[in-house]
Amino acid sequence: MSDCETLVNPSPEVKVSAKARGGVINPMYDCQPAGAQYAGIGVTDCIPLVHGGQGCSMFVRLLFAQHFKENFDIASTSLHEESAVFGGVRRVEEGVMVLAKRYPELRVIPIITTCSTEVIGDDIEGTIRSCQKALKAEFPERELYLAPVHTPSFKGSQVTGYSECVLSMFKTIAKEKTQPNGKLNIFPGWVNPGDVILLKRYMKEMGVDAKIFMDTENFDSPMMPDKAVEVQGQTTVEDIMDSANALATFALARYEGGTTGAWLEKTFEVPNHLMSTPYGIANTDALLRKISEVTGKPIPESLVRERGIALDALADLAHMFFANKKVAIYGHPDLVIGLAEFCLEVELEPVLLLIGDDQGSKYKKDPRIKALQDKVHFDMEVVHNADLWELESRITKGELKVDLIMGHSKGRYIAIYNNIPMVRVGFPTFDRAGLYRKPTMGYQGAMELAENIANTLFAHMEYTKDKEWILNTW
Amino acid sequence: MPMVLLKCDKDIPEREKHIYLKAPDEDTREYLPIANAATIPGTLSERGCAFCGAKLVIGGVLKDTIQMIHGPIGCAYDTWHTKRYPTDNGHFNMKYVWSTDMKESHIVFGGEKRLEQSMNEAFDEMPEVKRMIVYTTCPTALIGDDIKAVAKKVMKDRPDVDVFTVECPGFSGVSQSKGHHVLNIGWVNEKVGTLEPEITSEYTMNFIGDFNIQGDTQLLQTYWDRLGIQVIGHFTGNANYDDLRKMHRAKLNVVNCARSSGYIANELKKQYGIPRLDIDSWGFSYMAEGVRKICAFFGIEERGEQLIAEEEAKWKPKLDWYKERLKGKKMAIWTGGPRLWHWTKSVEDDLGIKVVAMSSKFGHEEDFEKVIARGQEGTYYIDDGNELEFFEIIDLVKPDVIFTGPRVGELVKKLHIPYVNGHGYHNGPYMGFEGFVNLARDTYNAVYNPLAGLAGVDIRVPEQVAPILLREAA
Amino acid sequence: MTAEALTDKVDDLYGYVQERCLWHFSSRSWDRQENIDGVLAKAGDMLTGREPVLESPNDRLQFAEAKSMVEDFRERFPWLREAGDEEIRQLLDGLKERLVDIAITQSHNRELKHHLY
Repeated sequence: MSDCETLVNPSPEVKVSAKARGGVINPMYDCQPAGAQYAGIGVTDCIPLVHGGQGCSMFVRLLFAQHFKENFDIASTSLHEESAVFGGVRRVEEGVMVLAKRYPELRVIPIITTCSTEVIGDDIEGTIRSCQKALKAEFPERELYLAPVHTPSFKGSQVTGYSECVLSMFKTIAKEKTQPNGKLNIFPGWVNPGDVILLKRYMKEMGVDAKIFMDTENFDSPMMPDKAVEVQGQTTVEDIMDSANALATFALARYEGGTTGAWLEKTFEVPNHLMSTPYGIANTDALLRKISEVTGKPIPESLVRERGIALDALADLAHMFFANKKVAIYGHPDLVIGLAEFCLEVELEPVLLLIGDDQGSKYKKDPRIKALQDKVHFDMEVVHNADLWELESRITKGELKVDLIMGHSKGRYIAIYNNIPMVRVGFPTFDRAGLYRKPTMGYQGAMELAENIANTLFAHMEYTKDKEWILNTW
Repeated sequence: MPMVLLKCDKDIPEREKHIYLKAPDEDTREYLPIANAATIPGTLSERGCAFCGAKLVIGGVLKDTIQMIHGPIGCAYDTWHTKRYPTDNGHFNMKYVWSTDMKESHIVFGGEKRLEQSMNEAFDEMPEVKRMIVYTTCPTALIGDDIKAVAKKVMKDRPDVDVFTVECPGFSGVSQSKGHHVLNIGWVNEKVGTLEPEITSEYTMNFIGDFNIQGDTQLLQTYWDRLGIQVIGHFTGNANYDDLRKMHRAKLNVVNCARSSGYIANELKKQYGIPRLDIDSWGFSYMAEGVRKICAFFGIEERGEQLIAEEEAKWKPKLDWYKERLKGKKMAIWTGGPRLWHWTKSVEDDLGIKVVAMSSKFGHEEDFEKVIARGQEGTYYIDDGNELEFFEIIDLVKPDVIFTGPRVGELVKKLHIPYVNGHGYHNGPYMGFEGFVNLARDTYNAVYNPLAGLAGVDIRVPEQVAPILLREAA
Repeated sequence: MTAEALTDKVDDLYGYVQERCLWHFSSRSWDRQENIDGVLAKAGDMLTGREPVLESPNDRLQFAEAKSMVEDFRERFPWLREAGDEEIRQLLDGLKERLVDIAITQSHNRELKHHLY
């Protein structure tokens, strides 16, 4: 706690700029195919087929395993030299057929390109047509969806790759409107099972029938007496097919699945509501109110109480422990922006926001970033196309002092070696146990996140003997 | 019936050539699995790519070297935070990774300028670091960027830096193995012999093919110190870049991992006449044998016997305690390649464990000659095993513990089988005398973990109770 | 010694090398042959009481390999102590034949003739 710090900043400013360096030291995001693979595993009976070198899928599987402590099935076309020279479409055809034969339950294969196969210029759409022909001959009764996912690694990042694969699967599987089903399509973005479970619960409590795309609840999967392996997404082919019949779409993440909401609106006239990602109280309020308005279902007492409980907990923390604490946040753009808004609610001061990749022109136009200008009473810097060296070097060069870092595990050493408390949030969080199970969205998520922040700060005070006596009584 | 076509492989019958079940009175003159051959697309193989074989396994271990990966962001992101190789200088190698973060314009117009810029930025940002390895990746190899020319220019502009280049895109070869080869050969041809060591002992050696996993190198170094042997180059555990330029001055090359690093030992023999001694650093009796051979080479047998006596007095009782309790347990090993033959006999001799199935990701036929010579009858020997094969093999051999990577570990957990990290270890080091006691302890703790027994209980069935494990305090 | 008894003893020695040694499984045919010849020659010297030549680094290496093996042979196979020089020669010749056969002549390893390391 800084003593007697002056709070008056006559002209607080939000500076938005891109990283000045060209190269990257310690990346924040993986490349497009990784994000596409994450979207693909969210579907039931789906094995993504990554068209590229074996590392492009092997390491991504490892990354998912690190975060969720689960194994996910992802296949590779195992591209080698001769494909690099003569083209790799035969590898796709062979891969699809091998998967179809050995996995009789399989219903969807997103075919995910990589940098190499995009440079080679393999015709994925044409290959899918020839695959479908071969599949029809081999399995006349079986419908297997092959979605072309163009995700060259030299564009965007895992964030755009996720969005691209969701969109391609919808374009491949979704069917024309038939009977209105009264449901909501909800695209939460790249979130944890904890968030999916929370959103499902909220919808249930409101009496709203909704489908979460992608439904990753089972990414937290059990050890069962019968030794069943259930680790896969719960979004079914039928859910996607039926999405055009929905009452409305709620896209909760502008950059992660938001494009699919827009596509459903354009193609099937499903009204699309692009919401602020529901981190923090006000964003959650806005979401629930809008859902209530669209569905005509009232917000139930249970959620009013949950909101109250969260506020009650936050009130214990905000002005006593959090106020004037400077925070750096990095990760996916929708998460970082949402967490910054949450921070302002609990009097934390997010002074540095780092978001990655080459989509700067979009970020600059993001109304949420523009709106931060009116909300802050301190100087804030937003760096896009950022890497983690942006954070580390500012700290080690003495240009930035923060009391807390919020981000994923790839930045862990910045916190550890600069003695700064850190709360793991986002993806991946492999160096803390069980975080994938906890919500960050909604009232409960805000409360749990704040409590995690508080406990992290408390533990830090104790380890460093820094006013550890404050908690002598609380 | 020695070569085996598993049920899950009925549609890919060529897999029969890769799976061997050892029967009495057979040997590798009759049956040798085909290895180091291309993977069938879509099989969910465990293999990575050649780039990762060079960067992640060997080059990235160096403790004072910038790892500049010329390609899109994913290749850097994915080969970072996936290894446990600490160093005695604060783990520089694990904290950082560098990428040129190639974008579409670089693919179109060439990425050499971007590489040069990124290299200069990296040296500018960390002025105390003077060594760098530059790696190509799939797209930079496809567009034909001349990384050697760029490295030359940067070295000319910055006379105090030294740069090594590795041209090994992910699609080259069939697995990580190709990357090992390219880095080995490149290093010995371009860097060995460019710097002279200070000789401090008449007994000098290189220790090759040990990457300081959880401190392996550092543990073994205590032995070499006690024996008065100077290790000129550790290839590459806890090593400096410049140490490895001096390898030509050692009198002996001691090789642990013959797969990843046998090539450089062979070349040092061919080019500099330094003999190659292959040892097994995992295993109690093997380690003693290795020490004896090294000491016999130098004519310092008494020192060796003294060290062995001291270590055995300290660790043998502990090892025997575990052996008593692990006798007859069944182990499966699914790792890279050499650990199959390093471990199969050592866990049998030192711990009484029977290895019932082994799968290698990137081993060559040489590795299968070694492991089949050493391994038991009734054991499966598998090249490039895939997920469905693992399920089937587990069913056939019913192992009590599996040594494998964390992702597969998460998979077999669902089958109530504990895993021990066969790549990064659970709580290592595992090399040397003390190390093998660590391995024994981790195996014991895995095998006697009560949770697997509890997981098998269906609480709806009254008569089902967890088996009582006779677990004792170690 | 009968041919059968000789074969049994060679089996024992061969079994040991297969289980404990790595030098006969070097990378290529030529270095496998070099190691088999060298290590067994040094072992022959030691088992028949001759002083092994230790001039080149390679001599020292083969000596180090042979020394370990010979010590283990003596410990595991007590009959070796009784063996005369001629029998030792026969045993090692038999062992060499078996090792060359498995590691070189009849090996299916497709890399043995590769021109590069």
